[in-house]
Amino acid sequence: MSETVLAVERLTKHFVETVALDEVTLALRAHEVLGLVGENGSGKSTLLKILGGVVRPDSGRILVRGQAVQFSGVADAIASGIGMVYQEQSLVPNITVAENILLGQEGSAVRWGWYNWKQLRQQASIALHQLGLDIDPMARTESLSFAERQMVEIAKVLFLENRRHVAPIILLDEPTSVLESKEIDTLFGQIRRLREVGSVVFVSHRLGEVLDVSDRIYVLRNGRCVGEREAKQSRHDDLYEMMIGRSPGQSYYHEESRLPFDEGRPVLSLDGLSARKRYSDVSFEIHAGEVLALTGLIGSGCESVCRTIFGAEPFERGLMRLEGVKISPGSPADAVAMGIGYVPAERRIEGVVGGMNVAANMILADPGVAARRGLLDFRRWRTLVAGWIERLRIKPASPRADVTALSGGNQQKVVLAKWLLRSNLKVLLLDHPARGLDVGAKTEVYALIRRLAQQGLAVLLLADSIDEAIGLSHSVVVMRDGLVSGRFSASPGRKPLEAEIIKCMT
Amino acid sequence: MTEAGRPPETGSPLRTRLRRRARRSNLGARAGPLIALLGLAGAVSIGHPLFLSAYGLNTLASAASVIMLLAAGQFLPISIGSIDLSMGALTAFGTVLLALWLPHLGPLAVPAMLIAIAAAGLLNGLIIVAFQMPSFIATVGTLGLWSGVSLVVSSASAVSVTGGYRVIAWLNGNIDRVPVSFLFAIVVMTVLGGVLTLTPVGRLALYAVGLAEPAAQMSGVRVAIVKVLCFAAAGLFSGLTALVLVAQDISGDPTSANSLLLPSIAAVVVGGNAITGGTGGMSRVLIGALIITVVQNGIGVMGINPFYEQIVYGVILVAAAGLTLDRSAIGVLK
Repeated sequence: MSETVLAVERLTKHFVETVALDEVTLALRAHEVLGLVGENGSGKSTLLKILGGVVRPDSGRILVRGQAVQFSGVADAIASGIGMVYQEQSLVPNITVAENILLGQEGSAVRWGWYNWKQLRQQASIALHQLGLDIDPMARTESLSFAERQMVEIAKVLFLENRRHVAPIILLDEPTSVLESKEIDTLFGQIRRLREVGSVVFVSHRLGEVLDVSDRIYVLRNGRCVGEREAKQSRHDDLYEMMIGRSPGQSYYHEESRLPFDEGRPVLSLDGLSARKRYSDVSFEIHAGEVLALTGLIGSGCESVCRTIFGAEPFERGLMRLEGVKISPGSPADAVAMGIGYVPAERRIEGVVGGMNVAANMILADPGVAARRGLLDFRRWRTLVAGWIERLRIKPASPRADVTALSGGNQQKVVLAKWLLRSNLKVLLLDHPARGLDVGAKTEVYALIRRLAQQGLAVLLLADSIDEAIGLSHSVVVMRDGLVSGRFSASPGRKPLEAEIIKCMT
Repeated sequence: MTEAGRPPETGSPLRTRLRRRARRSNLGARAGPLIALLGLAGAVSIGHPLFLSAYGLNTLASAASVIMLLAAGQFLPISIGSIDLSMGALTAFGTVLLALWLPHLGPLAVPAMLIAIAAAGLLNGLIIVAFQMPSFIATVGTLGLWSGVSLVVSSASAVSVTGGYRVIAWLNGNIDRVPVSFLFAIVVMTVLGGVLTLTPVGRLALYAVGLAEPAAQMSGVRVAIVKVLCFAAAGLFSGLTALVLVAQDISGDPTSANSLLLPSIAAVVVGGNAITGGTGGMSRVLIGALIITVVQNGIGVMGINPFYEQIVYGVILVAAAGLTLDRSAIGVLK
């Protein structure tokens, strides 16, 4: 066994009311690709951010090559030979690749404040060649494709670490999430090259990829490290079970409380909806009591369709009908007035108003329910809010608490209550409603979604995972490159397989 | 499921007590500006005992009315995270218009001026919303615009009210030795305070836009309309201030703009309203306006060179903004 280059001991990190990491211990060896898998909210991104010096842990130790370290910033991590490649790209678009790679570390490539372009090109080329990349160091960064820019980003981290004259440790945060399969192959080739010179931590929630490229795998669940496996000796299903805490078939989507929907009454119907460059010819119907899952990769157009229904993005052709009446909401306010509600994926930015209390957040979408003759009726407001706090079991059960003091799950319940207390709500759009929630909160949100359907709402779901889409919905519509590429009924006993849906997605 | 686990009534007295204590501690934080006000007033009156005499207080109150009205108007753009730098210029323009129109239009001059200045405020709002422009750029532009227009129509000198002054003379009177303009400002602020606490738009939409515009938008709040209304209202308040100024000075002054803007912003901020928006209310604006007035008058009665006034406003503004600023609301500092 080779030496350990990076060790993490009993690392713990709390956010407001959630435990992001709970005494995680793991080790990275020299010349190893370490896979880190887990669902959204399992703590893998937090762990990576701590290792990259972005976030500070509450307790626990980090040892780099046997030395205990404390990072107070990204620069400290870099000085210890740890470089991070972010999910969101951080290159400057309007300068050359070489400038980006050397940015802030120009050294001898700058003389008297002027670039020595020859030097600059040479040094950048070295980093690019190390990865076997065929990218012109003098190209403007914005002229590269997304995948190429990601490669440049890796080259940049590599260059930084070369300067330190130690074997680099490179952290890759979900690097494949927006790549196509051919690009993923190239990336994996590069990761294998990186293994020759240093060590790599690779984070993904796609098991197949992790099994493919890693030597060893750690599984995280709810902030805990629940398993460590040699990649060669592990099977997909075992890891999956470890990752979500149950076997793939088992349901925590409250299947028993699913009711058949009313096929005679389409509430929302889209007919050939098109918007240039985003999606075209999208048609589907959602009936009263139906949960329809719309799925697809990033860029497939699902999100755009959802935002169009809510009036946040325009459409150019096609028809949208609400209970048979043609509509075209020009703004979210229009959509809300028509009886459409939206639970955004960006809960903290678009979902709740931080700094305002629970009671105010709840009636924001329809203050009329707590008003009389244009003035707020405080007694009615209080009763209404108390009722919803109790019905949804929101904790702490205090209407005056600042909404940001609540845990993610409870914040989401406040957002749901905001729509549920509207009397004319007909359609509810759920954009990744369980994202970032712990398992307990997830099941509660799932139960709530079931109840909404039972009450006759038409629900559009953008799910976090295919598993969730199949588990919760009555029907699944798959999109690829802006077009509907598959439709499935997901009634019990006839549920589509995950593989069938993936086939339509890619 | 956990219904039984909830403590019944026994827990609630404790909870109310905790809540009350929380409210009290909040009051403690709010008391800062109030203590500053009393301290300043005390300090000035030690140096100059007549400051707190009936005459001194009367002068103070009529001076306060101007800053109160301006600050109340400025609070609206600030509460949504914007700012209206044109308020001083609009007020100056309002005084010129009123002084020019009173001899000809008589009583009609007052609503005409108020509508004209409110329309100029509305224009600010429309520019900001239509062109998605930062408010400080848009209103710096209109500041230049309206200052220039006032100078042109007044030939760059004070315009005396040559007739029709009776229409607004009441504003310069006293009721039981209390200036009517002060009572006027109190009434106007009370009405605005009512809107801010009792109506859905004031209590919910306005603060939601200030605290989290995307969330407000996604909750169906008509953000654009809220913004336009705030700037139109700020315009209206500039007009009301102009009304009081003309009543007090019996003339319109196109050059008064500069001396009005800084104190109006300083008053809002020094009262404890964050410059980043989303917090505060009329009681804080009132205290802030009174602090600024005491500073202004204090400098006068203590015989300090009036040039120091702007220095003091500037220092107060930066210090108070630094104390109340919500840094999480500003992404990147530029």
